[in-house]
Amino acid sequence: MISIQNIEISFNTPRGKFTAVKDINLEIAKGEIVSIIGHSGCGKSTILNAIGGMLFPAQGKVMLNNHEVKGPGPDRGIVFQNYSLLPWLTVEENVYQAVDAALPGKATSEKHELVTKYLRMVNLWEHREKYPKQISGGMKQRTAIARAFAINPDVLLLDEPFGALDALTKGSLHIELLKMWNLTQQSKTIVMVTHDIEEAIFLSDRIVVMNNGPAATIREIEEVHLPRPRNKKEIVNLEEYKVIRERLLNLLMDKVEIDEKDFFKEKAA
Amino acid sequence: MSSTRDLLSGNNEMGSVVLSKLLNVLTGLLFNILGFGVLIGIWYGVSILTDNALPTPAATLAVLWEMTKDPFYDYGPNDKGIGLQLANSIVRVFFGFILGAAIAVPAGLLIGASSFCKKMFYPIIQILKPVSPLAWFPIGLVVFESSSIATIFIIFITSLWPTLINTAFGVASIPQDHKNVAKAFGFSNWKYLTKVLLPYSFPHIITGLRLSIGVAWLVIVAGEMLSGGLGIGFFVWDSWNALSLEKVISAILIIGIVGLLLDKGFSWIEKKVTYES
Ligand SMILES: Nc1ncnc2c1ncn2[C@@H]1O[C@H](COP(=O)(O)OP(=O)(O)O)[C@@H](O)[C@H]1O
Ligand SMILES: [Mg+2]
Repeated sequence: MISIQNIEISFNTPRGKFTAVKDINLEIAKGEIVSIIGHSGCGKSTILNAIGGMLFPAQGKVMLNNHEVKGPGPDRGIVFQNYSLLPWLTVEENVYQAVDAALPGKATSEKHELVTKYLRMVNLWEHREKYPKQISGGMKQRTAIARAFAINPDVLLLDEPFGALDALTKGSLHIELLKMWNLTQQSKTIVMVTHDIEEAIFLSDRIVVMNNGPAATIREIEEVHLPRPRNKKEIVNLEEYKVIRERLLNLLMDKVEIDEKDFFKEKAA
Repeated sequence: MSSTRDLLSGNNEMGSVVLSKLLNVLTGLLFNILGFGVLIGIWYGVSILTDNALPTPAATLAVLWEMTKDPFYDYGPNDKGIGLQLANSIVRVFFGFILGAAIAVPAGLLIGASSFCKKMFYPIIQILKPVSPLAWFPIGLVVFESSSIATIFIIFITSLWPTLINTAFGVASIPQDHKNVAKAFGFSNWKYLTKVLLPYSFPHIITGLRLSIGVAWLVIVAGEMLSGGLGIGFFVWDSWNALSLEKVISAILIIGIVGLLLDKGFSWIEKKVTYES
């Protein structure tokens, strides 16, 4: 469904061309949930934005349903890393304007119903008349989530969508995300960037682990075969969960271990 | 329900807040009075030193009182009250200013949004901006064959630049994040204009307008000195010819106060439309 073919993405900077990622190959099937995980600055957002059509690879291409991605479209809903709400619009207006733009064929009343439904889903209905400056970071994030979901896209691109949330809210939004996915017979494709190993395992079918940049590549792709529906409390006791968690920790934390060894060497000396 | 003690301590707190605010206002006022005191002192000193060639504050105040007692009297074309003169100047300023804004805001939006327009027009703006608006007066006279309209014309020219430049800057500085939202959700051009571009640029536009009206008010006095007719600038010139420095100084005070009020008015609007992100 999504097919990333050997892409390389660079940015023009004052100090010349900066290659963020290269040699990225990834096939994502319809209905799959894939997480991209890696250290800060390795190019996770860059890859997500390439799928979203917000930026274009210098080499290679991104295919979506056998068509090359040439720009953004209502078939993909994006939750940006920094929420990107418009500060002069209320929570409700922020969602409505996106719905209005992305779904021009729908009647006004239908659009308002969608906005209502998704604002209720993220528990922001009571706060719909507030402006972004009047709500917390987590509420801004939930607004951005409602906005992306409300246009009912085939592909959801989530850039650290739960990053600013407390554990409780995060947990309930994980459930909401999966509920919505189930409601559509698991037909929606979700690509999500995250820092959170537990979150990645709980939600994903596959986890893409990135190398560090510049010119970052994919380090490894972990498959998560935990049965669905998953229960947060139960899966942590499963052997497979522990194995995957251990492997991801090793992939992401090897630097820390080396530091510690050095530390002990120094002590012994 | 709060207990009496809470209520008392609450009251005390509120009382002390009000008291400290009052104290702040009072000390501020005291400094203001002190400042004016020093100014009037120096003024008085110079009056004495120049043997009243510069009228004393008291003499000026008496004349100011005479002028403002009946500001709207009308004894024919060459003898009108200060209120009428002032009103005439203000009407001209607003006329020129609104015409200027009507051109400057759309032009600024265009130049800020399109790098093509910017490349084309920015050099012209940079050359014309530093020219004193009074230099346009002869051109206005030739084109409009009326010194009154020529004055409005120079106010129009004056009002253009700050508004145009601030508007263009506002549009050019729209954050990538906001543009990304519009792009990702497929905003139409109209939606982008009304929901992103204009709301973001609005505070910048108002700042431009505030600067414009400030300069316009500066220029009207000089303009009316050139053009004659009815107006506060011509009043200054006329008073000088009649050798009444008292009237000149009174007019300066009035011009300053009106300028301050115009600025405060726009600052107020500016605060109203500024959003916090
Ligand atoms: N617009 C840009 N211009 C220049 N460099 C950029 C730009 N966007 C991202 N980068 C660089 O590309 C690299 C990857 O960025 P990003 O994809 O945001 O990382 P991540 O999301 O993994 O934290 C970083 O080194 C970042 O500095
Ligand atoms: Mg990122």
